[in-house]
Amino acid sequence: MKEKPQMTSVASGVARKKKVTPSAILMKVSMVLIIGVAVYWLGLNLTNDPKQFAQVTVNGLNNGLLYALIALGYTLVYGIIELINFAHGDLFMLGAVFSFSLLTEFLGATGPSAKNYALLLVVLLLTMLFCAFINVSIERLAYRRLRNAPRLAPLITAVGMSFVLQWIGLKWIGSNPVNVNTVLPSTDFEIAGIVIAVKTLIIFAVTVPLLIVLAFIVNKTRRGRAMRATAQDKDASRLMGIDVNQTITFTFAIAGAAAGAAGIMWAQTTGTVAYNLGFQLGLIAFTSAVLGGVGNLYGAVLGGIIIGLIQSYNDGLAIGPGQRWSQTMVFTILILLMVYRPGGLLGETAQEKV
Amino acid sequence: MSLDGRAVLDAQDIRVEFGGLVAVDDVSFTIPEGSIVSLIGPNGAGKTTFFNVLTGLYQPTSGAVIFDNVEITGDPVHDIASGGLARTFQNIRLFGLMTAQENVMVAMHSKMNAGVFATIFRTKKQRAEEAEARRFAQELLDYVGIGEVTNEYARNLSYGDQRRLEVARALALRPKVLLLDEPTAGMNPNESAAFVQFVRKLKADKGISILLIEHDMSVVMQVSERITVLDQGQKIAEGSPAEIKSNPRVIEAYLGKSGSEASK
Amino acid sequence: MANTATASTAPAHTAVSGNRKWAIGFISAVAFFFILNKFLLPQATTPVQQFFNNWFSLTSMAEIMIWIVMALGLNIIVGYAGLLDLGYVAFWALGGYVAGWLMSPFFSSLQLNFFGNARPGFEFGIHFHVFLVLILGGVFTAIWGVIIGGPTLRLKSDYLALVTLGFGEIIPQFMLNGADIAGHNVTNGAQGIGGLDDVNLFGYVIGTFALPEKFLMVSLLAGAMIFFSIRLRDGRLGRAWLAIREDELAASMMGVPLWRTKFSSYAIGAVGGGIGGVGFAILVGGVYADRFNFVISIIILAMVVMGGMGNVWGVVVGATTLAWINSIGLVQVGDLVNNTFGTKINFPSYQFLLFGLLLVLMMLFRREGFIPEARIRMVMNEDKIGDEEKVSDETKIASN
Repeated sequence: MKEKPQMTSVASGVARKKKVTPSAILMKVSMVLIIGVAVYWLGLNLTNDPKQFAQVTVNGLNNGLLYALIALGYTLVYGIIELINFAHGDLFMLGAVFSFSLLTEFLGATGPSAKNYALLLVVLLLTMLFCAFINVSIERLAYRRLRNAPRLAPLITAVGMSFVLQWIGLKWIGSNPVNVNTVLPSTDFEIAGIVIAVKTLIIFAVTVPLLIVLAFIVNKTRRGRAMRATAQDKDASRLMGIDVNQTITFTFAIAGAAAGAAGIMWAQTTGTVAYNLGFQLGLIAFTSAVLGGVGNLYGAVLGGIIIGLIQSYNDGLAIGPGQRWSQTMVFTILILLMVYRPGGLLGETAQEKV
Repeated sequence: MSLDGRAVLDAQDIRVEFGGLVAVDDVSFTIPEGSIVSLIGPNGAGKTTFFNVLTGLYQPTSGAVIFDNVEITGDPVHDIASGGLARTFQNIRLFGLMTAQENVMVAMHSKMNAGVFATIFRTKKQRAEEAEARRFAQELLDYVGIGEVTNEYARNLSYGDQRRLEVARALALRPKVLLLDEPTAGMNPNESAAFVQFVRKLKADKGISILLIEHDMSVVMQVSERITVLDQGQKIAEGSPAEIKSNPRVIEAYLGKSGSEASK
Repeated sequence: MANTATASTAPAHTAVSGNRKWAIGFISAVAFFFILNKFLLPQATTPVQQFFNNWFSLTSMAEIMIWIVMALGLNIIVGYAGLLDLGYVAFWALGGYVAGWLMSPFFSSLQLNFFGNARPGFEFGIHFHVFLVLILGGVFTAIWGVIIGGPTLRLKSDYLALVTLGFGEIIPQFMLNGADIAGHNVTNGAQGIGGLDDVNLFGYVIGTFALPEKFLMVSLLAGAMIFFSIRLRDGRLGRAWLAIREDELAASMMGVPLWRTKFSSYAIGAVGGGIGGVGFAILVGGVYADRFNFVISIIILAMVVMGGMGNVWGVVVGATTLAWINSIGLVQVGDLVNNTFGTKINFPSYQFLLFGLLLVLMMLFRREGFIPEARIRMVMNEDKIGDEEKVSDETKIASN
């Protein structure tokens, strides 16, 4: 999605003769090693207990789709204004909190029923609107003014915004996690010995179409084209008559909506909401975005699923580092990616060297 | 005539390709030691790209840059600079929030040695080094004619003074070769004339070889011993001012811009 | 002629009188609180004691000194070199554990004493002298600064910020999980390491509860940090950092090696965390993993931002103010307001809002900090100066 015209990269590796440096070799070797170890680890567990493996895989996909939704927001925003919106994860949290407040508390929709399913859909839409609205507001009030400021300023502002949103969450539901009595049925069913919760199916049923719709919007609609053009070259887009401000607002709106959807689905399927939900998941989601290739919608989905799987494997498999190392693992992946392959899987490999 | 001297900077068959676009097309170029040469050409000719290859900012797709008999192609920018190849910028890039003196002292970074401990504890060696650096900076500021604004923030200086400060800063690298990127942009005829004098003085006093990229033809004609003309990435002419002035290819390249300029 | 020129060319910001005034102020404040708590308060009446304990408790004053040390450390990275570090808490944690490892009975299978001051009955473990621990703490964190900085400093600022955030999470996570790493107890996990030795300065022992003396000790650390920061800024490295922050392309073309210089800001800045970590561990007598979290990194960042990036005394004031508000101000003012107006507002719960809004509003309206150096005011507000001046870097270079 992001392909800068080569002439404008000052010290980029474009006109550079490809030198085979020792560090490049080291990197290739370590990548092979890491992948080898990962395959070995997974294979070990697969043969050890295939049922558990399949189960954990399903869980991973489950979480992965939610991560993908959140990652989408990060990747779209970064693609268009090159800003890591630190507050995005907390936006997701607010979506979860809002949906809890509205659906579970105010409307009292707990437990499965036709009426509650209908309410769920309504609240889903409302949550998406709510988060879109907040995201757009943040952009208008804070980020827009700093668009041309030195790099540090919008970054620090985003961090500050994250704190503000967390505070709102704190005030809204308190410092302790709250239980959400979901409207979704808690039943499971079995396929070939693997237990799949109905909730998981619902997640698939909601997120997959949502992702398809979002992909459609970004790739096929006029607005989506404007987004991609602006992400590539803001000045050129402006000259072509694209309203850059509006396009950026639109991007934030979509990102917010995706986060909101993820929020309500999270609340309804995991059953817990806490004010600091956003921080942890935000980093996981951003790692997913980077893994898939920042600025690339499909990359966000791919990255989300992979990270979801990795985390699930680490949490759930019998043989492995164990749950207490999951977070460290994800962060390590993030760091390795940033250093060695910031373009991720589907993005460009050119590193902007200092 | 200094043009016969050895080439202190020798760019051989420089080719720069960006994707499918050829910005610099097998250009060879030398700067004879102790000479003042210019590089001209219409916009988009590839001058700045070529210039950036010389200073190490871009690396050529093929070709080599030899500086003082040592190949510097692929060397890091700061090593090339501290090795004696200094430049000024077309759009002034001073460190606005540092004083004139500090700006010049930044360029002395590579020639100074004080480490962390020496700096913190102000050892005798460090103090002496700092004093000498300050003195040398002042000397350079005086030399370019802005000695009185030593403690002014660079941002507050007048445009002309800023241009001079850029030169002073470049000189702090004790360069063998000085590359000036459109140094007279924004100057009126008087200032340009003074600048021509200044460039001559630089060469006479310090023996520095100088390369200018310029659009102001009168300056180019007055100060250059040799002019090289680029057009669309290729070298189309090279010679004395008289030769270039009457070269039909050069005039043709500039037609559409302003033929009168080229035939001044 | 050359001599007079030198005399008048001392850089403006090292205006000796300015630094001197601040230094006198700082020393006076330290002396005041020491004398107050050591000699005067024990004799004072209860209301007076209560007032000072509520509003200016010595524990909090001592903690403020630690915050100053860390804020100044981060100032070198963020304020001088302009690199955004969101994981500074990692350095603090590392420093703390160095103290835990080298000044306590923790490694009970060993018995290493090097001018240390083990408690009677607890001679096992490693016991080094406090100076040695401080130095080793600084070195250890500097090494980690090198490890973290090494591969990451080439990244653009957004990515760098995120990577530092990652490290800021990983390292404390490691501490928390450290009770069982391949069978070894490295950090004692969530329990932390307690029972640190008392500091023994050439015979004079600062007891575990000798708060005024401990306060003096950490004030000394803060003073040293202030001294280092000012000296560094006025030297060759400081100039290189400021140049990089302003225009790193131009800096590199003037011979400043970018990576190496950014690197050094990272390693040296890390030392602040290390020393602060050791100091804090000695202050509370132990190091506890659950104290290290992301919020702390942001609080320190807020201190640097508020103080004006790069401005040493500004950061000192920023650190003092924010640390005071965070630990005392919110609580006390809250109680005051609630008691006066009968309200029941939970002031400390506004911490997130306070720091969040502070960062946002400062960036929007006063990027140069509350007590800015004149120079900062100009660079941080570049974008408010006319559009004509703002041509993107790339097009400048590639326009021909």
